[in-house]
Amino acid sequence: MRGSRHRAGRPNVLRHMTRRQRRDLWLGLAFVSPWLIGFVVFTVYPVLASLYFSFTDYNVVSAPRWIGTRNYTDLIRDPLFGKTLYNTLYLAAIGIPFSLGLSLVIAMLLNNKVRLQGLFRTVYFLPSVVPAVAAALLWRWFLNPDYGPVNEFLWQLGINGPGWLADPAWSKPALILASLWGVGGSMVIYLAGLQNVPVALYEAADLDGASRWQRFRFVTLPMLSPVILFNLIMGIITSFQAFTNIYIMTGGGPSNSTLVYALYLYQNAFQFFRMGYASAMAWVLLAITAVALVGVFRTSGWVYYEARS
Amino acid sequence: MPSTSRPTRRPRRSRFAGAWLALLLLASAASAQTEITFWQAWGGSEGQAMQALVDEFNASQSEVRVRSSFVPIGDGERILASLAGGAPADLVTVWDWMVVPLGYGGALADLTADLSAAGVGQDDYLPGIWEYGTYQGAKYGVPTTINVYAFMWNKDVFAAAGLDPEAPPRTIAELDVLTEQLTTVDPRGNMRRLGFYPNVTAIYCYAFGGQLYDPTTLEVTLDHPGNVAAFEWLAAYYKKYDIAKIRRFQAGWGDMASPFNPFYRGQIAMQEGGQWEVAFTREYAPDLNWGVTTFPAPEGGRTDVTPVQSSFWVIPAQATHKAEATRFLLWLSAPEQSARFAAALANIPPRRDALAMPAFADTITPQMQTYIDMLLTGYVYTPPGLPVGLYLSDQLNQALAAVQDGTVSAREALETAQRNVQRELEKYR
Repeated sequence: MRGSRHRAGRPNVLRHMTRRQRRDLWLGLAFVSPWLIGFVVFTVYPVLASLYFSFTDYNVVSAPRWIGTRNYTDLIRDPLFGKTLYNTLYLAAIGIPFSLGLSLVIAMLLNNKVRLQGLFRTVYFLPSVVPAVAAALLWRWFLNPDYGPVNEFLWQLGINGPGWLADPAWSKPALILASLWGVGGSMVIYLAGLQNVPVALYEAADLDGASRWQRFRFVTLPMLSPVILFNLIMGIITSFQAFTNIYIMTGGGPSNSTLVYALYLYQNAFQFFRMGYASAMAWVLLAITAVALVGVFRTSGWVYYEARS
Repeated sequence: MPSTSRPTRRPRRSRFAGAWLALLLLASAASAQTEITFWQAWGGSEGQAMQALVDEFNASQSEVRVRSSFVPIGDGERILASLAGGAPADLVTVWDWMVVPLGYGGALADLTADLSAAGVGQDDYLPGIWEYGTYQGAKYGVPTTINVYAFMWNKDVFAAAGLDPEAPPRTIAELDVLTEQLTTVDPRGNMRRLGFYPNVTAIYCYAFGGQLYDPTTLEVTLDHPGNVAAFEWLAAYYKKYDIAKIRRFQAGWGDMASPFNPFYRGQIAMQEGGQWEVAFTREYAPDLNWGVTTFPAPEGGRTDVTPVQSSFWVIPAQATHKAEATRFLLWLSAPEQSARFAAALANIPPRRDALAMPAFADTITPQMQTYIDMLLTGYVYTPPGLPVGLYLSDQLNQALAAVQDGTVSAREALETAQRNVQRELEKYR
């Protein structure tokens, strides 16, 4: 019986279920249907619609008009497309390694058994709880060239600090600096990962005479690598979509130096009434994100999966 | 047991039936009155002033009931979504730059017939205001209240610098000299005071005889020789005072609606400012000694440039109660109401007759009078009423950014902007 079923190819799942199982299946689907319907109506449909709009001239209020690939060819000719892509990649390429490294260092420090450990963990995590808008306003003041504490501190050291957010050459580093304040989120994930490293491995390393660096390099890092991969992927996705803090801190200026992809997309969609163009931008961003993530997975040989070995 | 429970249920059911009947009666009584939804864009005391008008309208008659809700004007996404979704409010408040793009796109009702049927026409409005929000003969909205810009100078800063506090610059050459005399730098090399700060680029395009578009042919004219001349002058300004230093200085300026406004603190000696400054200075800088006048212009340029901005009331094409919304709109924009609302906002009413209404006339100060005179006699220009909306303004800013960075000439920057906007505009032809 079993053998013949296999030979018949893919069996109809429903047919081989008992009445009860079938009833449970429908009941289960009925219970999750609000989410399934919501997913289809509010996610799948808009995503597919935006793909269609990306091939049209669409100003939101009148009917879309099919123009083929013109939005995509226009993108290539648009100097701001290249500029915003560069700004976004700059923030990702410099910002992500810094944030991954810093949150790992903080997590390892906070993993030490010290007095007031709970307090320290809370303090370092706290900025992640601050609403993005409030944090952005705070940093705008913090980095104020003339009145901000950062430049005041630099002046005490005899340095006339840069214009930070007001200077096209410093605005992107300033945004990265401000974003590092919010590493608490990935820090917590690292902390959880660190606590999952079996103590036995450290004991074995000690017996083999491993130094602190060797324990970190050959035990902690490999055991933590899946968490690093996770934080890296989340970092890529969030920094490609960066919007709120930049919208508030610089609005894209000065001189387009912080005009990131998502901000330019938003302007096209809701201020310039170029929804078709904005849809094309969104799909290009999706493609770029997908390529980046595939690249990360392809080169993820450094990740050690305990369960697999 | 069931037999005993039935009798007790029956009266309850009939009681419910009675309640339903009462509700139905109420509903039918209410249906004689049409309820319209109004998205108004003012919060705080301004919102209260608007609500007072709405309440007054509701009390004045029994056919239309206005239900107003506060939808910030910056919430363009919500407004756009409601229009695109075909379920808009009956009367909506939007920015001027949205009016023609939305109207031309078919999302707004053309008010031309209703306004002329009500006897409202061009002569009822201040010069240049009737055409505002109109495109190819269709009138897509009514301005709420008018904002107008003029040239402001800080008399105390002038006096402290040994200059005649009653002699603002009349020409661009005089402005250049005063800017240099009034600009100061601190020992760190950072700017302490900027003699003059040009914020609204378009003003100088018009002052130099240029224009952003031709209001009669509706052609974009960003590369107009007057605009190029204005941009060359701006480029020289940014080169002389160093855009990097200005940006850095700018980062330290406080909020405009606060005592930390850079003009109130003397960080800027001369700038453009709207008529709201009359109310703002009263609140945030009561001791400030400032003057207001028309914009300086170069030899042979326009000496009476009057930049105007406004928000608009529009009736969506898909509104459920267009006739009732129009009735309320006509009442709301009539001189008496226009005067009262403008007075509450420290703006200027767009209706000519409203200027003389006590509700507004009693609030006019000498400074406010300067703004009103400019409106009555000046060359009024409004943000371009073209379907490309904000794209044109953004392209002008992009051109300015390129000129500020000194990467391209004024002419090249404006020609690029012209090409881009022209190309975008062609999509609508």
